[in-house]
Amino acid sequence: MSTRRSDVFRRKLARLGWGLSAPALTVIAAVTVFPIAYAIAMSVSNVNATGSGFSLSGITGSNYSIMFHAAQWRYALFFTIVYTAVTVAVEVVLGTAIALVLERLSAGRGWMMALLLIPWSMITVINAQLWGYIYNPTYGILDTVFSHIGLGTPVVLGTRVPAIAALMVADIWKTTPFVAIIVLAGLVMIPRDFYEAAEVDGASGWTAFWRITFPLLRPTIALAVLFRVLQAFGLFDLPFVLTSGGPGYSTQSLAILAYNAMFRDLDFGPGAAVATSTALLVVIGCLLFLRVFRAQAEREA
Amino acid sequence: MRNRSRHKQRRVFSGVNLAALLVFLFIALPLYWMIASAFKTPANVGASPPQYLPHPASVQNFNVAFSQNTFGRYIVNSVIVAVAATALVLVLGTLAGYAMARLPMRGTFTILVILLMISVFPEIAVVVPLYALLRDIGWLNSYQALIIPYTAFFLPFAIWILRNYFLAIPHEMEESARIDGANPLRTIWSIILPQAWPGLFTAAIFTFTACWTEFLMALSFNVSNDYRTIPVGVALFGSQFTVPYGTLFAASVVAVVPIGILVFIFRRSVVSGLTAGAVKG
Amino acid sequence: MGSGQAGRDGGPARWRAGAVAIAAVVMSLSAAACGSSTSSTPGAGGSATASGSATSGNITWWASPITTSTPDPRAVLISAFEKAYPHIHVTLQSAPTDTDTNRASLITTISGGAASPDVYMGDVIWPAQFGHAGLAVPLSKYLPGSYWSTFAPGLVAGATYSGQVWGAPFFEDQGFLYYRKDLLAKEHMPVPTTWQQLETDAVALKNKGLVKYGYVWQGASYEGLTCNFMEYLGSAGGSVLNSSLTKATIDSPAGTQALTFMRSLITSGASPGAVTTFQEAQAMSAFATGQAAFLRNWNYGWIYSQTASSPSSVVGKVGVAPLPAFAGQPSPGTSNIGGWNLYINPHSKNIAADLTFIKWMTGPAAQTTLATEFAEIPTVQSVRASQTVVAKDPVLAAVPKTRLIPRPAQSPAYAKVSQAIYTNVNSVLSGSASPGAALSSAASQINAAETSTGL
Repeated sequence: MSTRRSDVFRRKLARLGWGLSAPALTVIAAVTVFPIAYAIAMSVSNVNATGSGFSLSGITGSNYSIMFHAAQWRYALFFTIVYTAVTVAVEVVLGTAIALVLERLSAGRGWMMALLLIPWSMITVINAQLWGYIYNPTYGILDTVFSHIGLGTPVVLGTRVPAIAALMVADIWKTTPFVAIIVLAGLVMIPRDFYEAAEVDGASGWTAFWRITFPLLRPTIALAVLFRVLQAFGLFDLPFVLTSGGPGYSTQSLAILAYNAMFRDLDFGPGAAVATSTALLVVIGCLLFLRVFRAQAEREA
Repeated sequence: MRNRSRHKQRRVFSGVNLAALLVFLFIALPLYWMIASAFKTPANVGASPPQYLPHPASVQNFNVAFSQNTFGRYIVNSVIVAVAATALVLVLGTLAGYAMARLPMRGTFTILVILLMISVFPEIAVVVPLYALLRDIGWLNSYQALIIPYTAFFLPFAIWILRNYFLAIPHEMEESARIDGANPLRTIWSIILPQAWPGLFTAAIFTFTACWTEFLMALSFNVSNDYRTIPVGVALFGSQFTVPYGTLFAASVVAVVPIGILVFIFRRSVVSGLTAGAVKG
Repeated sequence: MGSGQAGRDGGPARWRAGAVAIAAVVMSLSAAACGSSTSSTPGAGGSATASGSATSGNITWWASPITTSTPDPRAVLISAFEKAYPHIHVTLQSAPTDTDTNRASLITTISGGAASPDVYMGDVIWPAQFGHAGLAVPLSKYLPGSYWSTFAPGLVAGATYSGQVWGAPFFEDQGFLYYRKDLLAKEHMPVPTTWQQLETDAVALKNKGLVKYGYVWQGASYEGLTCNFMEYLGSAGGSVLNSSLTKATIDSPAGTQALTFMRSLITSGASPGAVTTFQEAQAMSAFATGQAAFLRNWNYGWIYSQTASSPSSVVGKVGVAPLPAFAGQPSPGTSNIGGWNLYINPHSKNIAADLTFIKWMTGPAAQTTLATEFAEIPTVQSVRASQTVVAKDPVLAAVPKTRLIPRPAQSPAYAKVSQAIYTNVNSVLSGSASPGAALSSAASQINAAETSTGL
């Protein structure tokens, strides 16, 4: 806002803003507030699942205490954080690289975009089954390729590290394209004259990227990171189909743990505690990330 | 500098083309494997060593998906639900995203944080109370049982996306329109949207695919076959002890078609929107 | 991202005001919803005297696909039922094939108070959990002892929890040993009756290059591994829990014998390392494509291996036998019990018609159809023993010879008990834990599951 405006005008604009936001906020509140509040309430009550709904009684911290004391929760938290960190890092670097390539591609960009959308729009469960088929130990293509090049027949999903890596590959394949699309959309919004100025200055492609493209792209990359962190933290379908959380508890994510607690063991209280704390952790993580990001951006500006 | 970059573009084996080829292979090989396997006979789907080309090619998997299972119905339902929810999200999200990007509302940050919280809250924890809510208002087994919850749960992130892109649009034109006294909806329509194509496209793709692949709500809220969507439909394929890879892949190949049609319809505006951004100064 | 400016606009004070306002809305909403969910009537709608004599009404039946064959057995049974009871109309709701997904959907539906489905087909390991949580109607309140005595021994006990029967046994699954009779004949080997013999034969056939794998079974980290483990444990004379379900008994010499043997199957080369990722489908396909000499699988393995379009390339080359026993232990070995029961939703508006449907589905006509047309093991003793059924296929003929061992599903915490078993057994199979360490860890997890809630 370059010019100073009168308070009256400012208030009018704010009212207008609320007016424009009201439909969206109303729909969101009407649908999401009650279920989320109910889930949070479950996480601090003694919940009994009964044929006629849940009975919530009292306010207790025992669900959270059970959770903090469970080795399974601690491992699931560790696994989910590591999984998120690795996949998001790979996807953002790879996705940015793909976006840069697509932006420079002289022909066939439309086709490449369409191709990128296919993995992203694939039904998640089918994506998991596709990779299950690829990793299949008796007739999977991976097994065949490995034995052709003399690496024997690996039991991909049977041991911890390869199983986690296998999940990550499937995730990266499906999600990198969307990161690329987000970044590409940010890339094409950078005005062309910035580059032309750089070319006049004689900056090399690499320097131009770090000096011009990257700083201008940073909000978009931040959005992509944010988006991916949210999704990766909710990791569910891939391990549910490919490993059922195994071998052992190796690939049991927080979402699988919460699902098992609620829908397999009918422990709705502890399950809701896992779900609620996961959401809190992610939001805190995202806010910290945005704060660091903003501080960084301000320092450089 | 200019000469060199132009020279680069003319070469077929430039770094860019080579990188594009690698990207293509990375994305396409697993897809090829799925498509090829969809056209194998059921016996050859499990052949060891696997067949690289379906031989003989067969459409039996497609027959199973469409005649033994009512897969056509699931596609129609998915399209209805995803298109309706995406349209709602785009309209509501554009208005709210614009307001939060441009208008001096107090508490925008609080709202954005709450929206973030909503969009990360694990679905598994809300599906049970949401079910009770929908049952009370009599919406179970209907399109709106999915359209409205999808709109509500995917709107928050769409608002984040749209706001982010709106922030990147220069203020000047808008300011002059405002000084001219243009109606705000008109400003959004004629000044913001034309410049925000990439953001709208991103938000639309995000919402559409989120609706298209959502499983748990679709499974719980609509148990009547008339309202089931594709992800739930494929969970009914096969039987307890079999993984019907062939049928699943055939279904997945067909499920890509509506997406392809949408991309084809919007291809012009999307690609021109994306390139227009690049051309304009 | 620009949220900075906005952040400074709305400081912490506004944050708090917003939060309070939202909390107020939430409180009122959740109070309303709690009211509505507790007001719906729990337990049985309909009178406790209904015994399945109703002859009219509309009911919905929730059932996952029983087989992939055409025609669909569920549709066949429904149309036969509607012929017998023209005024009862049954609508089929197809359920997900994955048992856990199926259960999650049912839990959401029933605890959400829905009156539909009226009758649902659920796993044999659910009665304690569903009975405990009030997700099923206690059928023994409505159906007399004379009805329950028609079932084969053990099945009704398996569906009983806290003195009530919660599910009517619909069809049963049992574990069997499948073998390549052409290969055994070629090598002049008898059908193995001990686990040790099976291991030796499997290694021999594999080393001769006749097959890629000797013996395949289900070793992945999932419920099916508990089933497999129970068979070795039962044959070694062990158990998982004491009879009052209060203390784990799994950490025993029998447990060690079972687990040591399972691991040795992999180290000796009788079974591939990949067996630690096998569920039924992978083991079945390895056998059906001729890559394995022996297979442990449920009874569906017979019809699957004998149907070329399954796909199977071993049609006519397969034999079936009860599972082997450990040398020196009673023979045959123990087979685990799987299968499905029929349950009633406590919110069903038409329990009388539900009971009619269940009685018919567990009656001679439906049970005979299930056995003779779809190769499922009938639950009704007289049908199971009838000549037409026994003569139908070798699996049904072998059923009377098996010794059965149930999973310890009488505890409402069974799901956790089972997870303690299969995750620890799987660690031993993949070589990351010793049998002793795994058993003691399983035992402590089982004890924790039985005594307290936890994750």
